Amino acid sequence: MASKKQGSATRALVVEDIKVDCVILLRMLRKLNCEATVAHNGKEAVDLFLEGKTFDIVFFDKDMPLMTGPEAVTKIRSMGATDVKMVGVSADYGGMEAFMRAGADMFVPKPMKLETLDSMLQEVIGKKNTSG
Amino acid sequence: MDYSNLRRQAASMKKSLFDQGYLDEQFCQVEDLQDEASPNFAEEVVTLFFKDSARLISNIEQALEKYPKDFNKWDAYMQQLKGSCSSIGASRMKSECMSFRDYCGQGNVEGCMKSFQKVKREHGVLRQKLESYFQLLQQAGPTGAATRPAM
Repeated sequence: MASKKQGSATRALVVEDIKVDCVILLRMLRKLNCEATVAHNGKEAVDLFLEGKTFDIVFFDKDMPLMTGPEAVTKIRSMGATDVKMVGVSADYGGMEAFMRAGADMFVPKPMKLETLDSMLQEVIGKKNTSG
Repeated sequence: MDYSNLRRQAASMKKSLFDQGYLDEQFCQVEDLQDEASPNFAEEVVTLFFKDSARLISNIEQALEKYPKDFNKWDAYMQQLKGSCSSIGASRMKSECMSFRDYCGQGNVEGCMKSFQKVKREHGVLRQKLESYFQLLQQAGPTGAATRPAM
């Protein structure tokens, strides 16, 4: 299970408009000792990055009002956020292509399993520890 | 009160929900997220699901009336509902949502209408069954969470 290193909890952003999905993913992240922030659509996520907020990993739903997940990924990557791990999440398998084309690092079908999330976070933690 | 009997009843009820296809493994994933800090997480999520899904069903109902043959719009709404169903393991509801979407893809209005009625019916049945399940769990007490059914 992803563990918390003192003073360096993994910072996750959940970009999701469906409340049920958001609540479940937040619970999983908190169970895995992550600090989680929520944006309810792609535009809110972009605004957070424009405000200078930084995250270790971002989970994007695909279809959201105002700005979709792939649109937000494209925008945030174009702002220079190339290190943050971006994960597209959707019940629609057709979303994979849209997310990968936009610059996401990976796509995970909904509903996400806790073990899948844990292994993604392990990778992020490993990368953080290596870069110091 | 015979709490162990209540726990057995809850376990049996849950197994029945799985055996009859109302729920799938994802429901167990949600229950597994419960702990001492969040002992009623599954019930909270299910309550949220039914609140949200009632709204989505109402949106679809209005869209069916206000936007005749707008299959893209109908499909978009149903996609949201299907997603929520997947998230809590509402398997039969999810299947009916998928049928509806198939009919949208075929441009079949009658199919959509019939399928939507089935979605509403499954929604009502699942709500009743899960309300009974969680009531039983509450009566069974803090250690009343049923075990994962053998599949």
